[in-house]
Amino acid sequence: MSGPSGFTDAELVRACRAGDADAWNELVERYSRYVYAIAVRGFRLSDEDAEDVFQDVFTRIYTRLDSLREDSALRPWIAQLTRRRCLDAIAARREVPAEELTEEGSTDLTEIEEAFEVREALTSLSGACQDILDRFFTRDQSYKTISDELEIPSGTIASRIARCLGRLRETLEGRNPADGGSRE
Amino acid sequence: MTNDDYLELQLGDLLDRLAADGLAPGGGSAAALTVAFAARLVAMVSRCSTGWSEAPGVVAQANAIGERAVELAHTDGRVWEEALIALRDAEAKESADARRDFALEQKLEAAAAAPLEIASLGADAAALAALAGEHGEATYRADAAAAAALAAGGATAAAHLVRVNLGVRSADPRLARARASEEAARDVAARLLESHR
Repeated sequence: MSGPSGFTDAELVRACRAGDADAWNELVERYSRYVYAIAVRGFRLSDEDAEDVFQDVFTRIYTRLDSLREDSALRPWIAQLTRRRCLDAIAARREVPAEELTEEGSTDLTEIEEAFEVREALTSLSGACQDILDRFFTRDQSYKTISDELEIPSGTIASRIARCLGRLRETLEGRNPADGGSRE
Repeated sequence: MTNDDYLELQLGDLLDRLAADGLAPGGGSAAALTVAFAARLVAMVSRCSTGWSEAPGVVAQANAIGERAVELAHTDGRVWEEALIALRDAEAKESADARRDFALEQKLEAAAAAPLEIASLGADAAALAALAGEHGEATYRADAAAAAALAAGGATAAAHLVRVNLGVRSADPRLARARASEEAARDVAARLLESHR
């Protein structure tokens, strides 16, 4: 995955280890939603507990980044840290040892992983594609509203969205990882 | 009973509910569900059109429109029922009450907002049907025309409810929006139906 700096996860880890403050900010920005999603959607923690997990996970990332053996394995490592910390939080509420808890009952984390992968793939699309997909699928804007605000013919909106989805799919399937040349 | 998930009901139960007691679901919910039918029909046509490169993207949009339409069916049922109760309450009391009249007006405003969105979704479903009718597998193009007709029906019914719920304020821009959605959907339907005669 790459963000504003264009760093992959492995590059980001190396920059963080070198003490680059901007890289730390980017790491938090890149993974904050992910950690929250696992805590709130995956384990159904309260906002208060999720906030505690969030703080604790990023503190651990900061203090233990040197223990990460494979720099490119940042995401699975963060996922593991978050899952463990969520189980700790649940155990504390129920007053039982965390070792006695399993992830049974938590929402399938695969869905969260998939959502995160889609979000990652979206960042590789052109700005125009990201914008039109966000407007239709996230903000629920009608074709008419999109047409009016972007000043493009209403009759072409659905086709543009379909083409952008096609590029997103190709990116997700790894057939077209570098979608930089599109003007869509 | 308006909090029931319409998707969880048997079709017969949903139809019985529509015919039952004058409460939700009513015309707005029926219009929204008609748009949902239209959208899902477009998804079917597109999914069956394997030679059309944009088909998967159209399926995704049609499904999104269908899901929004079902949500609006619930929303419309809820706000319409609240407006109906407020209206009956106002009619039962003869003396003027400014606060009550204001509350009723707010309820009617809310009751107009949902059909306005339903009409807009109807126009979008019709636009997708037009694409499917043009590029979809020839065998299923008649279904695309049927989808456009359903979408136009939903949009027309919803626009009518916007007019009724907003009363006599003909200069209200929401009326123009509703009318524009209705006309857009009807134009597409007329064109597609004509091409399949």
